[in-house]
Amino acid sequence: MKRAAPTETGQVGRSVPRLESWLKVTGRAEYVHNLRLPGMLYGKIFRSTVSHGRIKRIDVSAAQAVAGVYRVVTSKEIRQLVPEPYYGPAFHDQPILAIDKVRYVGEPVAVVLASDPHVAEEAAHLITAEYEPLPAVYDEVEAMTSKAIVHDELRPAGTFPDLKHLKGKKNTNVALDFHLRRGDAAKALESAHKVFEHRFHTQQVMHTPLEPLVSVAECTEDSLTLHTASQSPSFVRIEIARLLGWPENRVRVRVPFLGGGFGAKLYIKLEALVAVLSLLARRPVKVSLTMEEQFFTITKHATTFRIKSGVDGGGRIVARECEVWWNGGAYADIGPRVTQKSGFTAPGPYDIAHVAVDSYALYTNLPPAGALRGFGIPQLVWAYESHTDMMARELGLDPLEFRRKNLLLDGATHATGTVLRDAATGKVLERLAALMDWQKPFERGTAGLRRGRGIAIGLKACVAPTTSLAAVSVNVDGAVTVYCGTVDMGQGSDTAMAQIAAQVLGVAAESVKVVHSDTDVTPYDMATLGSRSLFHMGNAVKLAAEDARDKVAAVKKEAGFPADASLKDVFKKKYGMQAGSVLGQASFVPTYTSPDANGLTDNATPFWMVGASGVELEVDTETGQVRITRLVNVADVGTPINPRIVETQLAGAAIMQLGFTLSEKMEFDAEGQLRNASLAEYKIPGFHDLPASMVNEAVDAEQRSGPFGAKGVGETATFGVSPAIANAIHDAVGVRIMSLPLTPEIIFMKMQEKP
Amino acid sequence: MRREVRFRLNGEAVSAQVAPHESLVEVLQQSFGLYGARESCGQGLCGCCTVLVDGTAVSGCLYLATLAENAHVQTVEAGQELDAVQQAFIDSAAFQCGFCTPGFIMMTRQLLDEIPQPSEDQIKHYLSGNLCRCAAYPQIIEAVQLAAKKRRTA
Amino acid sequence: MAPFELLEPKSLSEALALLDADDARPLSGGTALMLMMKAGVLRPARLVSLSRLGLEKIERGPAGELRIGAMASLRKLETSEVVRAGWPVISRALLRLSNVRVRNVARLGGHLAHGDPHTDLPPLLSALGAQAQISGPRGERSIPVESLYSGYLETTLQRGELITRVDVPAMGKRRAAYLKCTTRSADDWPAVGVAVVLDGERQTIVVSAATDRPTRLASADAADALPIESDLHGSAAYKKQLVRVYVKRAIHEARSAD
Repeated sequence: MKRAAPTETGQVGRSVPRLESWLKVTGRAEYVHNLRLPGMLYGKIFRSTVSHGRIKRIDVSAAQAVAGVYRVVTSKEIRQLVPEPYYGPAFHDQPILAIDKVRYVGEPVAVVLASDPHVAEEAAHLITAEYEPLPAVYDEVEAMTSKAIVHDELRPAGTFPDLKHLKGKKNTNVALDFHLRRGDAAKALESAHKVFEHRFHTQQVMHTPLEPLVSVAECTEDSLTLHTASQSPSFVRIEIARLLGWPENRVRVRVPFLGGGFGAKLYIKLEALVAVLSLLARRPVKVSLTMEEQFFTITKHATTFRIKSGVDGGGRIVARECEVWWNGGAYADIGPRVTQKSGFTAPGPYDIAHVAVDSYALYTNLPPAGALRGFGIPQLVWAYESHTDMMARELGLDPLEFRRKNLLLDGATHATGTVLRDAATGKVLERLAALMDWQKPFERGTAGLRRGRGIAIGLKACVAPTTSLAAVSVNVDGAVTVYCGTVDMGQGSDTAMAQIAAQVLGVAAESVKVVHSDTDVTPYDMATLGSRSLFHMGNAVKLAAEDARDKVAAVKKEAGFPADASLKDVFKKKYGMQAGSVLGQASFVPTYTSPDANGLTDNATPFWMVGASGVELEVDTETGQVRITRLVNVADVGTPINPRIVETQLAGAAIMQLGFTLSEKMEFDAEGQLRNASLAEYKIPGFHDLPASMVNEAVDAEQRSGPFGAKGVGETATFGVSPAIANAIHDAVGVRIMSLPLTPEIIFMKMQEKP
Repeated sequence: MRREVRFRLNGEAVSAQVAPHESLVEVLQQSFGLYGARESCGQGLCGCCTVLVDGTAVSGCLYLATLAENAHVQTVEAGQELDAVQQAFIDSAAFQCGFCTPGFIMMTRQLLDEIPQPSEDQIKHYLSGNLCRCAAYPQIIEAVQLAAKKRRTA
Repeated sequence: MAPFELLEPKSLSEALALLDADDARPLSGGTALMLMMKAGVLRPARLVSLSRLGLEKIERGPAGELRIGAMASLRKLETSEVVRAGWPVISRALLRLSNVRVRNVARLGGHLAHGDPHTDLPPLLSALGAQAQISGPRGERSIPVESLYSGYLETTLQRGELITRVDVPAMGKRRAAYLKCTTRSADDWPAVGVAVVLDGERQTIVVSAATDRPTRLASADAADALPIESDLHGSAAYKKQLVRVYVKRAIHEARSAD
């Protein structure tokens, strides 16, 4: 891994060990999972056992009678406090507890409160409910036209400016449909030299952070504190205040460390529930999910992607049609944003004159889908990079050559109409080719163990528009404190922000204190998601540190002191005591232009992420089992703030994506019941799943608008892993698999189909 | 029906009122305020709940606290200074969110006690029952190798 | 978990007396039992601990057989020098059985009495001709480990009976191998487990995991006749292919075993 040469005064570009290292290796890091408050009640959720039905009756009497049960709550009690208890970032479609209907197996219907969680759990088993079953729909394409309608009426929220235009619709399962038109793809396809059309699928999976979702609420008569494992504390505050009809400053949201997030801990998950329960009970309430319950709370969209491309005689792609159906489950969550913001990258990092994208967010009777590391990009890259290889093979072109011929380079115009700036697509592809020794002939193995290799490259646009505010204080003794709402879920944000502030203020990064998100203290931040924080909050912290630095200089000058005077002396003279601090603050909101009616805009995003992967593998031809011998990940992350953390983010994202590619799948039966809601049956990568060899590299690049040239990295290595593996399998045994996961059985069975 | 259970905890004689169905992790958290061992998968597969009972690593979330009577229980919070394993994890950047880290540290200490110079294969085998969703696996292997070296030269 | 009463008898006869009741279950390592109790699948009113009965010994018997006490932990079995020297196939099989923590706590008796086909030792011990010593309210009996299994999670153990010891005949000139095939992540319950023991010309092949209990194959080609059903590990057709392949590979490995 290339690292910047360490300098004595350099704080950025240095692999500073994480600030919270001691806490994490001694088991003393704070997680909401650990939180216990005096008088606290535990809430255990009773969940729906049908995938779609009207609630006829809920009988809580047996549960209520159990010794030690404080109270059993249904939506009836919720509505006494909050008459319209619906939440969500895109639609206010999700009830705190089910009202009138249940829309997926596992939907929360009632909660038992008790001071002993075992008692709460035992009592929850005694609740019974009767449902009148309704026709259900599970497939995203079927949901487009199905008579089974999940929501009788849709209610758009206005929280995010780019979702405001959503209009409430009836009699439909389509929560959002996004369209992009550049040129005339239909016409160009008609006259193309050759046309290729393929259909790809991805499966529903779950983030399974090892700290399962958890929230605690404690209230006074007119205020509420939420201790919650959340990546979006500011959003939580706004949404809870809205639900309660309170001013925002009466809701406090604090977040310590997260035991993993990956997008699961966003927007509202358990916060509204514990808030209302706490107000009803007048005691602190904790709802802490089991690993199993997470599967019934938030997941990743399964997708179907129809992609059609036309090429000219020289192998250039001249037109592309993309139709993507996103399976959003029973509640929209942030699905509409995925549909739109990732939807517009469906054509891929390719220079195509005529493009049409139709991207649909669908409601189905499955657990809700939302944000998961990559935010829809991995599903799109899966399709377009498999498609790219299929076209290359049929045209008799080398997969690398074909990509070179069509790659959208820095400075060229993307399908949205936005010019690519500081997106090192060419460099990333070339570095990958070099690391893969692509020019060299490849050893093919034996009949029993066939070897193959494959590559893939993907592109993501950072979500926009978003706002970050930060404050930096310089204490009279020179100690620096950073206040920002970014949440450290393992991606190293505390350390990065400390490095940035330290670089500006000329102190050691290790000496900077980073105050964790607390909405009473840290200013507004959109959220920690989509690899946005290093760029947005990093810029805000940089500006706030510069503001503090300038203010320190000004106060010295104004008091008649030289620039190198100590603040102690200055304050002593100015205020009569050598105590105090200087507070700098700043906001950072990059420019953005909303897309027009054709989905086009010249400023779609403040920065692009580019990630490519190359794979070498062996296929056991008697069983279809795959062994990855080499995995190479190359990324454009700008100039790394912390090279070691960048390397671990690339490796971590790629290994996580391996799980989604080879073994993870939520398996449902015909009634929408999940059959594998536990780590015993839903298999995530462990040590024995690692590729024999892994290389992770960030190319030499600079994001000029980023803090010290940096930009986000958390998701980048998820992009190319899945299609690179499918391409390598095809290279090895000549079978093409169009859906994930790539299990041994599917590979083996497909091999038997070959003539 | 609670009853008093006496045992040694990180070298100190202690006792706790325990119900038969309570797990060791629950008792360590509720009665002793020790949160390094955490229940995550609840099935003994992830290792986040690893504690030592009489020098043997067990899944604390599946271990009945009652059965710790007269045993010596050790958790990651034992010890005042960072040991070679903990320091190696820091030096190798072998954690991200940190939720699984105490479990890895406990298991790594056991591994190095049993096999002072483990091969990469032996490391993977021994730690195969510890999961890391952040997938810090490559760095964890480095940390174990570094810890072995630190112990050797200590 | 539902509350229960924990009893800790100090003798086998005391334990057997306590177990001769409908609402009592034996507690050996507790790994599988705790999972089922947490999931609410089992709700025994009483658990009878077997840890004070002195059933942990691993030693050679008078006929050169391996005698494993039912309360020997899988980890002790894995690291036992006696086992490594005389029955290395068992040591090797244990390497990939669940994980170290589970093996530290899980006991042989519990592992065998659980009746879960997705486990490794039942087919292996069956193929090695191991005998289970059983004690119960009507006295003692000894049956082949193979005869313990009557179906998915079903054993032929009667109410109040306990496995107290497992005896494995000396290897002699026999060669053995056990192969575990997983189809999801690498570390997983087996989708197919195949144990092969070669004794001169004679092949003993026992398949498990794809079948609902350890099942002896009359010959290496008899895989297609096995009653295999589709599940989360794979379809019936695919698992049959895996059995065919892994039987072949296990025979090959046994041939080159020491």
